[in-house]
Amino acid sequence: MIRFQNVNKWFGSLHVLNDINLQVSAGEVVVVCGPSGSGKSTLLRCINRLERIQKGKLFVDGMPVHDSTINLTKLRAEIGFVFQQFHLYPHLNVLENVTLAPIHVRGMKKKEAEELAMEKLERVGLADKATAHPEQLSGGQQQRVAIARGLAMSPKILLFDEPTSALDPEMIGEVLSVMVKLAEEGMTMCVVTHEMGFARQVAHRVIFMDEGKIIETGKPDQFFDNPHSDRAALFISKILKH
Amino acid sequence: MLEFFNYRTIWEYMPLFEEGLRNTFLISIVSLFLALIVGVLACAARLSNWRGLRAVSIAYIESIRSTPLLVQIYFLYFGLPTLGIRIPEIQTGILALMFNSGAYIAEIVRAGITSVPNGQIEAGISSGLSYFQRMRFIILPQAVGVTVPPLLGQAITLVKDSALLSMISVVELTRSGQILTSERFMPAEAFFTVALLYLVIYFFLKYLSGWSQKKLIFRET
Repeated sequence: MIRFQNVNKWFGSLHVLNDINLQVSAGEVVVVCGPSGSGKSTLLRCINRLERIQKGKLFVDGMPVHDSTINLTKLRAEIGFVFQQFHLYPHLNVLENVTLAPIHVRGMKKKEAEELAMEKLERVGLADKATAHPEQLSGGQQQRVAIARGLAMSPKILLFDEPTSALDPEMIGEVLSVMVKLAEEGMTMCVVTHEMGFARQVAHRVIFMDEGKIIETGKPDQFFDNPHSDRAALFISKILKH
Repeated sequence: MLEFFNYRTIWEYMPLFEEGLRNTFLISIVSLFLALIVGVLACAARLSNWRGLRAVSIAYIESIRSTPLLVQIYFLYFGLPTLGIRIPEIQTGILALMFNSGAYIAEIVRAGITSVPNGQIEAGISSGLSYFQRMRFIILPQAVGVTVPPLLGQAITLVKDSALLSMISVVELTRSGQILTSERFMPAEAFFTVALLYLVIYFFLKYLSGWSQKKLIFRET
């Protein structure tokens, strides 16, 4: 579904992605972790081309993302992206947030899009908030609406960039349980997160990055209990402490 | 002072003040409308990816903002006829106010657009919305809220700036005060009335600005 082949990217002189090789198959749940500045968010943002790679090849659902002539609308319609800061549209209510892209990108009728949106809001447990504005929702609810917004495009892949990092501790659970449900239903997911519980429960693979390189790849239990590299061991001991 | 005030003369000259007020109002509305169009176009050019267009827009905005309005008015008033373009004073005045306010409006609109957080744009990109769809459905609705109050501020400035058109003998509000003064030598009565009428316009716009601030601002929390 996603294939990185010797992918490189620089921000100025900073080598933010260094020769990345990675393959994610359909239905797989991959957790990416690593210290801040390790390139994990950039890795994710390259997949829907919020960032462009400078060297190497990147295929998503057969589309060559490194190629400047590809149909970006088509690529992005296949990929849902959930941000750390939610980024709901503050001038629209919950239902309008979810229906905006289905109506204007998929060309759906308004009524049809609203039915679809209600179904997705039901799935994240927020059907009763359809007419609320984002500012009236808690952080956890906003993030669940953001997930519903991603789902409304019926994407083949969902990308999560630290989806729980901006939330109060008591709201993390409600967002993670939505994500667990999606993973169990067979959604292809790439999740940048330090939530070890989530990784152990549903991830097929954990990828550890540092300084733009993939240092280690492994099954969650093996990775967290028995990391191969010293760098990963140090990192795990740090996230366990807090 | 008030007991020496000649109310009867003010009353007698009411038709003149009416004409002045009507012209000030008309000139302001028309110039503001045109300035909005010029401003939005200049702002679009300023934000465009095409370098030539950006340079033209910056040159326009900077040259207007760095020179006095009176100079711009004289420039058009005396300059256009030498180019063979002869238009009445009122139209010349409207052109000057349009170009002047347009430059300020371009910057106000640009500030509104760039104030929309980048995350909003990325959310739109990620859902597959095109540039124009993002502008129309995400950026502009959020930019309008923060743009309207300073735009009304600019409208207030434009109304007051239109007083300078008295220098090219457009009979607007200030000019009607000058006429009364020169005919009857009653500057206190004349300009007290003129100021009062400007105040009425000001309060009207001020009220709109307060209302818009309450109704139109949406921000990501």
